[in-house]
Order: sequence, then structure tokens, then C-alpha cells
Amino acid sequence: MNTLFKELEEATLEQFNHGELPQWLADPVLEVARNPQQYTDKEYHVEMLLAQVLEYDVYAEAGCCKWAYDHEDIKRTLRWLNEAQNEPKGKEG
Amino acid sequence: MATYLDCNATTPVEPSVAKLAARFLEQDYGNPASPIHDYGLFARAAVEHARAQVARVVGARPDEVIFTSGATEANNMAILGLAQSALADGKRHVVTTAIEHKAVLEPFEALERLGFEVKILPAGADGRFDPQLLAAALRPDTALVSTMQVNNETGIVQPLAEVASILAQHPAWWHVDAAQGFGKELEQLRQPRIDLLSISGHKIYAPKGVGALIARKRNSTLPPLQPLMFGGGQEQGLRPGTLAVPLIVGLGEAAKLALREREQRLEFCRAFRVQALAALARLGAVQNGAEAHCLPHVINVSIPGISSDQAIHALKEVIAISSTSACTSHTRTPSHVLAAMGLSFEQAESSLRLSWCHMTPAVDWERVIDILQQLRKA
Repeated sequence: MNTLFKELEEATLEQFNHGELPQWLADPVLEVARNPQQYTDKEYHVEMLLAQVLEYDVYAEAGCCKWAYDHEDIKRTLRWLNEAQNEPKGKEG
Repeated sequence: MATYLDCNATTPVEPSVAKLAARFLEQDYGNPASPIHDYGLFARAAVEHARAQVARVVGARPDEVIFTSGATEANNMAILGLAQSALADGKRHVVTTAIEHKAVLEPFEALERLGFEVKILPAGADGRFDPQLLAAALRPDTALVSTMQVNNETGIVQPLAEVASILAQHPAWWHVDAAQGFGKELEQLRQPRIDLLSISGHKIYAPKGVGALIARKRNSTLPPLQPLMFGGGQEQGLRPGTLAVPLIVGLGEAAKLALREREQRLEFCRAFRVQALAALARLGAVQNGAEAHCLPHVINVSIPGISSDQAIHALKEVIAISSTSACTSHTRTPSHVLAAMGLSFEQAESSLRLSWCHMTPAVDWERVIDILQQLRKA
């Protein structure tokens, strides 16, 4: 579990420092990565978020096929992560 | 209950996979093709996450993964899906091997009925086809080569690296049925010359009913597959129908675990194998296929003087095993794989396949030996 959050932090910093992940998106992701105790039962969402950060691309929706993740994807996953526990969608079962 | 030793037929489902699949059945049940609300959006995100997880195992791109109902459908999609393009190009020659699963051999029979010339390569006693025979069989009009990665009955790993070298300068499409090796034997499937890969969920601890065809792009273009079904645009138009989100998510989770837990699984299977080989040696069992090429979780043996049916029946309270592939074991026809390897009818009739996994509990091998020795005396 802690490895997952560590990976998320590293990937976010990498995409922020050397990729195109903007600060307004990097900051809330780092907030998740640095507070694992708040997301202990949400591993699936954090994994999804990690994948989206790793494959972040500003132009993900361009062209015929979606092959990467853009800011909308990451924003949505962050919202699901932070929604109330008793909401049905996007919550750990 | 007997200890389950038929993991090549199907594996148990990993608990975390089952938990995730259940969540998408009971709670997050949206349709990814309806991303106009959070239900659909979350389902779509989950499917795309699973697609990336599957792609990662073989070093493919996520958009090269086409979800199917399993490896059988993926095999059919690959083999029959290329027919139209091959005919348009004037190529009517296709090659496969005698030890393929019926889910490959029967689509090839269908190609033959469409006018294709089918070349079937033989196998040796070691359980492998000879890549040099493939090299000799290739022609300018060869449209498709289909070779499995790991044989389902023997567990023997096939010489894919040699095939890659042979096909390096040939334009034929290369399909690999990887149902038994995906998530287990990793390096082979990362070979970029492989155009099409069929995989199955229920061989890697995911539920039954899900698999994928991984279609690698050449020059940024997918192989010229034609859909076998019509009625929707899902999966890039190649596999219409509502996506089975709980199963797909389960396959993704299983793919993730295959990478993350590979070493521990291998270690367990190797230790189990030592015990199995020791017990079978005491019975004078003869391995079918070369041990050097066998995956660590499976063994196919012939035990002289004991028929498969007798052994399976006598052992049914102790271990659950099979004599041939799950898809043909009900037909009572001798194994076409063992026949292709040159085994006699008697040897094939006394063959047993034992296959286990990291979740397999301990086996009372002394009892297994005792029962089979009693059977031989009877």
C-alpha cells in the first residue's frame, strides 16, 4: 500500500518536473500521495490515478483513439477519491 | 474435497479479483458506452485501466487490447478476421501446428473451406514444433502463421524466439495463442514481431468469460482484421456488444497480480513440482514432453499399466486431475497433441495432466502413490 503511494508521488513529481502535468493538477495528486492514511480503503482508485499520471498527455483525446489520460480523467478520479464514502460510484466496495 | 490439480483447465479466482468483480456487479454497474454520468464514466475509466494493465504484461499499447469473451473468441477473431484481407491480397496460404488448441485448428479448417491452403507443422517427442519446418513452409503467399506459446496439455513452451527470427523478413501476420502462458512466461510475449496474441482470463485467476486479442500495430496501423460480429462500435468496431465490465476489471486486476507476484508464484510452483516429480517417479511415470521446456506448474505423464480413466476415477477423492485438455476431455477421443508428438495409443490412453498454482494446498502424495500402485496390482 505504501509503495503505491510512494510510486504516485514519484510519478507525479516526474510528470510535473519533466512532463506536462500542470501544477494545479499536480498539487491535489500530491495531496493524495502524501496522505495515505486518508485513502487506505481506496487502493483501486489510487492505482487508477497512478496509471493516469504515468500516462498523462495533454492531447490524450486527440486523434481517433484514446491512448493516454488527460486532465479531465485525473480531475474525475480525484473527485471520486474525495467523494463521501457512502456514495455509490467511485467508492471502494 | 479432492485437491484441485487441473489449473490448466481453469484456475481458481484470486480473492482480490473476485472482490473487485463483485464491486462492479453490485455497486459500480454503469455502462462504459454511456459516459454521460458518473456511473458510465467510472465504468469507462475502469475498463481503460484494465486495458492498460493487460497491455503492460506484454509490452503493448492499451489501444492494442481488444476485449473478448476469452481466448477462443480471440483466436477466431485473429484467424478468421484476417481472411478477407488475405484473399484481397491474393494470399491463400496459412500455417499452423498440429499441437494447437481446437480453438485454432477449427478456425483453420474454416479457412480451408474458404479456399485457403493450410499447412500443419508436426511436433517432436519433446512437445515442440520445429521452427525450421516453418521456415521451409513459408511462401510468398503465406498470409498467416499461428503458433501457440505454451501447449495446454503438456505445458511445453514453444520456440517463439526462433519463429520471430524466421518471420523477421516475411510479411505474414503472426498470431500466438497465449492462453496458457500469458502472465506466466512473460518475455516471449513481449517480442514485437508477434502481431496478434490471444489471452484468457480464467487461466490467470480471473473469471471465466473474459479474454482479449492483443493486436500490435505495424506502422501505427492495426492488422487488417474484420469483425466477426456486428451491431455496435465497441472495441474499435471489432467486437461489438456491451463490455462485461466486472469481468474486464477482474482480468485487469489478474494481469496486475501476474506481474507483481510472479516470483512468489514461480517459487511456489517449483517447490510443488519437486514433490510431484518425486511421487510420479516412484510410479515409473514417463513425462510427455521435455522437462527442460516445461512450465513449472504443469506436467503431463504416462503411467505404464494404468489407464487415464482408471487413475482419474481412483484418485477422485484425493486429487482432481485430467487426461487431456478441458475442451476435449468429454469427447473421449485420444489427445491429438500426444498423437502429434508420436505417442502410441496406449501411451496416450495412460496419460495424466497435473496442473497446480500458487493457491494449491498440499497433496497427500503417499496416498496418491498407494492408490495407483494398488490399481496396477489389480
